[in-house]
Amino acid sequence: MAAPDELFCWEGDWGLPSVSTDCLVVLAYAQFAGAPLKVRKICNPWRSPSGSLPAFRTSQKETLSRTSDIIIHLRKQKFNADYDLSAKEGADSLAFISLMDEKLKPALIYTFWIEPKNYVDVTRRWFAEHMPFPLNFFLPGRMQSQQLEKLRLLQGDERLEAGEELEKELYRDATECLNLLSQRLGSQKFFFGDSPSSLDAYVFGHLAPILRCKLPNGKLQQHLKSLDNLANFCSNILLLYFPRDGRDGCSQKSPPQPDAGDFDNVPSKRRKQLLSAVVALGAMLGYALLTGIVSIQHVQQEALEEPPDLEDMGSHEEEGDG
Amino acid sequence: MIRVNERVLLCLSLTAAEPWPENATLYQPLKGEGFFSSSCSLYHLQTYLRMCGLPVQVVCRPNAEYMSPSGKIPFIHVGNQVVSELGPIVQFSKAKGHSLSDGLDDVQRAEMKAYMELVNNMLLTAELFIQWCDETTVSQITRHRYGTPYSWPLNLILAYQKQWEVRRKMNAVGWGGKTVDQVYEDVSQCCQALSQRLGTQPYFFKIPTELDALVFGHLFTILTTQLTNTELLERVRSYSNLLSFCRRIEQTYFESKDS
Repeated sequence: MAAPDELFCWEGDWGLPSVSTDCLVVLAYAQFAGAPLKVRKICNPWRSPSGSLPAFRTSQKETLSRTSDIIIHLRKQKFNADYDLSAKEGADSLAFISLMDEKLKPALIYTFWIEPKNYVDVTRRWFAEHMPFPLNFFLPGRMQSQQLEKLRLLQGDERLEAGEELEKELYRDATECLNLLSQRLGSQKFFFGDSPSSLDAYVFGHLAPILRCKLPNGKLQQHLKSLDNLANFCSNILLLYFPRDGRDGCSQKSPPQPDAGDFDNVPSKRRKQLLSAVVALGAMLGYALLTGIVSIQHVQQEALEEPPDLEDMGSHEEEGDG
Repeated sequence: MIRVNERVLLCLSLTAAEPWPENATLYQPLKGEGFFSSSCSLYHLQTYLRMCGLPVQVVCRPNAEYMSPSGKIPFIHVGNQVVSELGPIVQFSKAKGHSLSDGLDDVQRAEMKAYMELVNNMLLTAELFIQWCDETTVSQITRHRYGTPYSWPLNLILAYQKQWEVRRKMNAVGWGGKTVDQVYEDVSQCCQALSQRLGTQPYFFKIPTELDALVFGHLFTILTTQLTNTELLERVRSYSNLLSFCRRIEQTYFESKDS
């Protein structure tokens, strides 16, 4: 192993190590298995090797972008969080992971990307604030249309749109899934006893954003908070495996949070101001040149062409005289 | 995958009191037409209804897909109502007082639901993938079977339209870049999980449940469908307890009642 494996993932906020579910799953699994990863938290998906986040660059310079592939790769490297599980428990993990994929994921996509108020007030705002300058104008919108497309295909409905009926249907599935998970967890610390496994990573990745993100339409959050064991399960993992992010979250919740954010952003803000000034100047100059208010080339050409004209006219006059 | 629409639920609450009628009819397309998905859901539903002890008559119609209120097959015609798709039909029979999973406790019910989603998530997607994304299968079998009931230009158009739709779906669930071998590997993984869960028991839980009907529907279809190669069949066949599970259900619910 020459270079360590690198993991590119979305930056964290709201007291979470990352805002994206897939990134959280990988981060949690790596923590559970004790895999030494070089984690790079970025907010520009174009800087990841695969063009999307999360992305995983192995020591052989291979790039993986699907969560399951990354976990399989880690498992092959002997970082296996499921080592203690019996075959039947392994089967159960697979089943509950599928359950979340089918029932909870569509609702997650809906809450964060499709529900108009949540999307405009929280998701788009977060991504627009965190992405670098030119990307923040179009990437959040593009991400949303990708997610909408995905939800449409998952639900098998081409003309699906945000609305009461869809919300009800998705949330019914999601609350059922949450109830089932809560029943399965019972009073245990983790799903299979005292040590966390890949299923715990998946559950954490899916639930933590719902639990920690303050959304204007927080029906799922309310329901999750009413299931004490699941809510405790998430806070426990945050406390035990991501102590730094958990504390950041607590300090950020206090009032001085916006100021701190501003101070952190000063250099990039300067750069943004400079860039926008340059772009504005460029636009004005371009307009001036196009409409002919300023015409450098013209003046020079006329200056060059004038003397021969005068000579010509002079010769014409001479001919006329002659 | 399974959607319960509001209208159906409304119907359910209105008609819950009526008993199951004798003349219930299950409509399906012609045998082998939609092959994997339709015959899976058909076997699933028939097994389920037989487990509940509800009599149903099966009728084949080539245009069943367009007769169904939601455009999905199979659908049943019970009394003066038409209910389509598996989820609503299961809900419907539940409302009539026939349920299989009542004897389970909370944890078991959670596990049952989870395994059902495992089958939907992996086996169903794998079947769709092999049926519509594996070039040899598509050109030799699928396109022909799907287009059979229609005349010349329409059969090709509909088949290509369906193929395009399935490919987009595969991309959405992250299966777009998979190879056929990887899909076989997923099928093995899913069967391994089911086999572990089943162990030496006759059913997945102590009584027959929806899960048994669903697993039987899929495995029986895989075991009885002819494909361009036998890879998928071999993968399923290597789990002997799943094989005997299928045989047991077939004997209990199909052979004895057909005779």
